[in-house]
Amino acid sequence: MHFNKFAIIFKREYLSRVTSKAYIITTLLAPLIFLSFFLIPIAVILLSPDTQRVVVVADETGTIAPRMAEMNPELFLIADETQSIDSIRERVMQGEIQGYVVITEDIITGDRSPELIYGGTGGIGFITEIQGALRTSIRNEKLDRAEVPDEVRSIMTERVSLTTRVLTETGDEEQDAGMLVFLGIGLGMVMYTSMFIYGGIVMRGVIEEKTSRIVEVIVSSVRPFELLTGKVMGVGALAITQFVFWALAITGISALSAPILLYFFGSNASAAGGGADTQEALRAAEAELPFTMPEISLGLMVGFIVFFLLGYLMYSALFAAVGSALESETENQQLSIIVSLPIIIPIFFLSPVSTDPDSTLAVTLSLIPLFSPIIMPVRMAIMNVPFWEIGLAIVLMILTFIGLMWLSSRIYRVGILMYGKSASLKELIKWARYS
Amino acid sequence: MSIIKIDSIVKRFGDFLAVDNVSFNVNEGSIFGVLGPNGAGKTTTIRMINYITIPDSGSVLIKEQKAGPQSQQLIGYLPEERGLYKKMKVGEQLLYLARLKGMTDRDARASLQYWLDRFGAIDWTKKNLGDLSKGQQQKIQFISTIAHDPEICIFDEPFSGLDPINSELLREVIIELNKKGKTILFATHRMEQVEQMCDDICLFSQGSIILTGSLSDIKRSFGNNTVRIGFRGDDSFLDDLDHVRINNRSANYAEIRLLEGINEQQVLRKAVDKVEITLFEFVQPSLQEIFISTVNDSVTRKAIQNKVS
Repeated sequence: MHFNKFAIIFKREYLSRVTSKAYIITTLLAPLIFLSFFLIPIAVILLSPDTQRVVVVADETGTIAPRMAEMNPELFLIADETQSIDSIRERVMQGEIQGYVVITEDIITGDRSPELIYGGTGGIGFITEIQGALRTSIRNEKLDRAEVPDEVRSIMTERVSLTTRVLTETGDEEQDAGMLVFLGIGLGMVMYTSMFIYGGIVMRGVIEEKTSRIVEVIVSSVRPFELLTGKVMGVGALAITQFVFWALAITGISALSAPILLYFFGSNASAAGGGADTQEALRAAEAELPFTMPEISLGLMVGFIVFFLLGYLMYSALFAAVGSALESETENQQLSIIVSLPIIIPIFFLSPVSTDPDSTLAVTLSLIPLFSPIIMPVRMAIMNVPFWEIGLAIVLMILTFIGLMWLSSRIYRVGILMYGKSASLKELIKWARYS
Repeated sequence: MSIIKIDSIVKRFGDFLAVDNVSFNVNEGSIFGVLGPNGAGKTTTIRMINYITIPDSGSVLIKEQKAGPQSQQLIGYLPEERGLYKKMKVGEQLLYLARLKGMTDRDARASLQYWLDRFGAIDWTKKNLGDLSKGQQQKIQFISTIAHDPEICIFDEPFSGLDPINSELLREVIIELNKKGKTILFATHRMEQVEQMCDDICLFSQGSIILTGSLSDIKRSFGNNTVRIGFRGDDSFLDDLDHVRINNRSANYAEIRLLEGINEQQVLRKAVDKVEITLFEFVQPSLQEIFISTVNDSVTRKAIQNKVS
C-alpha cells in the first residue's frame, strides 16, 4: 500500500467531516444533554416556589410541642391555650395555616396514634417531615421520662450503613453489581448506536463518491483498497475524536457539578464534613444517596475503546461493501438490513447477559466476533471477565475483520464502477468471485 | 515509438466477456481515437490502461513499464461519467486530486493557478462545486484531469454535454497539449471529431478490435467506392438498386456504398432515368460509413460463427 496516498485520503476523510457543522453540533450537544441531567433537577428545586407552611401543634401535655418547635420553628407553631380546636380548624379551612396536630397523654404512652388534620396540600415530603418530627419528639420525651443515660441514647441514634463488595478470584474486592448492570446495558446501547452511526457515515461516504462518479477519478490515482482503508480509518479517527472529547467533557462536568450537587442535596453531609474538605463531604453525600455511583475503571474504558474500534472496523467493512452496491441510500433496504442484523441481535440478549454475565449463553455470545463489540463490554462492566476470553474475542474479531475487509474490498472495487442500478445480494456474491 | 502497448488483453465479468483478446499500440505524441458503439469494451479497456481494473490475461505497457501505481501518475483521465465532490470547495478539491496524482503541494498550487487562470475560473476556488453551473463544473473537471501535467491524456467522450463555446475551448486546449508533445487518447462515437483530430484509430465491436491503424491508411484501403448523390424527384429508385448499401438517406440526398457487381456509371444511368440530378460525386467513404459497415460485417460474422459453433 502507498502510504503517502493513504495519508492524503485519510486526512481528507477526517478533516472534511471533523469541520462539518453537523459533526461539531452533535459533538458539543451530547455533553450538554448529559449536563442537563444534573442541571434540570437543580433548576427544578431552585425554581419551585418556596412557600412557608405552618402546622399548629395543640399539646395538652405541653411536652411534645416545644420539642417540635425547637426542631423546625418555622413549620411548627405551639397553640396557645386560649385557642379552641374549633378556631384552629377554622384557620385551616381558611388556608391561613396548613394543618394541626393534637397531642394527648395517651399518644405519648403509645395507646393512640397522633392525627394530622390538614388542607390536603404539601405532599409526601410535608407529611414525612411532620411524621419524623413527631417520632423523634415522642421518643425523646419517653427517653427523658425513663431517665435513660446519654450513652444509651447515642447508641440509639447510631447509624449502621452497609457497603457491599464482591470478592474476585484474584482476591481483589470490587464494587457492587447492582448499578453495574445499568452501566453495562448503557455501554451496550452506546456501542449499538455507535456501530450504526459510524458504519452509516462510511456507507454514505461510499455512496456519495459512487453516485457523484468522482470515484472513477480517484481510483485512476490510487488503488480502490487504499481509498477504502483511508475512508474507514478517517471515519474511525473521527469517532475516536468524538469519544475523547466526550470523555473529557463529561469528566469535567462531573467534577464541576459534584460540589453543586452537594450544595443542594448534601446539606447534612457537608455539615458533617465541616464544609472545608470537599472530597470527604462528597463521600459523605454519596453515602446519603440510596445507591453507590458506579466507577468506570480505566480498564473498562480501554476495553470499550478497543471493542468499539474492532467492531467499527468489521461493520464499516460490511457497510462499505453494501454502499458500493447502492445507487442511493434509500435503495435496496434488503442489503442494509442484512448488515444491520448482527448489530441488532445482541440487543435482545442485553438483559439475560447482564443479569447472568457468566452464563454459557453470555460467554458464547461475547465470543461470536460480530456480537463481541456489544456483548463483551456489557460483561466487562458487570464482572471480571477472564483475560483469555477477552483475548480470544479480540483475536477472533481481528481475524473476522481481515476476512471481511478482503471480501468487502473485492465487492467494493467492482461495485463502485457499476453504474445504473443498485445490485442485489446475488450480484454482490458474483462480484466477489471476479478475478 | 509506442507509449502505450496493449497486448492480447482479456477481461471477463462472470460469464460476460467484456474485452476479448485486444491488442493495439498508441504512438507517443499522437492523437488516438478509440471508437465503437456503447458496450463494445472501450471503457473497460481504458480502465485497464488507467490501472483501475487489471486484465485477466495479456499485458498493458505504459512507456515499456507494466501499468501500475507509477504509470497512473503519467496519465490524466477524464471519465465519461463526470463527477467531483459536490460539497467540497473547488480549490481544495483540485488540490486534493493533484496531490493524489503524486504532486507536491507547491507544484500543485502553481499548476492549478495557471489552469484556473486559463479557464477564467480563479474566482470559483472558494465556492462549493455544487454551486457552480454545469458548464463551470465541466471546466473544473477538465482542469483536474490535466493539472498534474500528464504525458498521456485520456478523454472519454470529452465533448459530451458541452456548449459550442466550451467545446471549442476544449478542442483548442487538446490540440495545444498535443503540440506540447502529449499523447492524447480519446474515446467517442462522434465521427466528425475523430476525422478532424485523430492520427490513428481503433474500432471496437463486441469486445474486440475489428479495425486499427492510421486514419488515412484506413480510408485509403476502403477505396473510392462511395457515391454522393443529390436529386430532385421521387427517391424510390434508390430502393431498386442492387449491390449497394445506402447511408445518410434523406428526401433528396443519399450516400451510396458500391459493393461487388456494380459501378458508379450504372448507378448514374439508373438515376438519370428517374430523377433530376443536382449532385453526383465519387469519393472516399466517410468514417461514419466505414464504422457502420465494419461493425455490421463483424456482428454478422460473429453471429454466423456462433451458429456454426
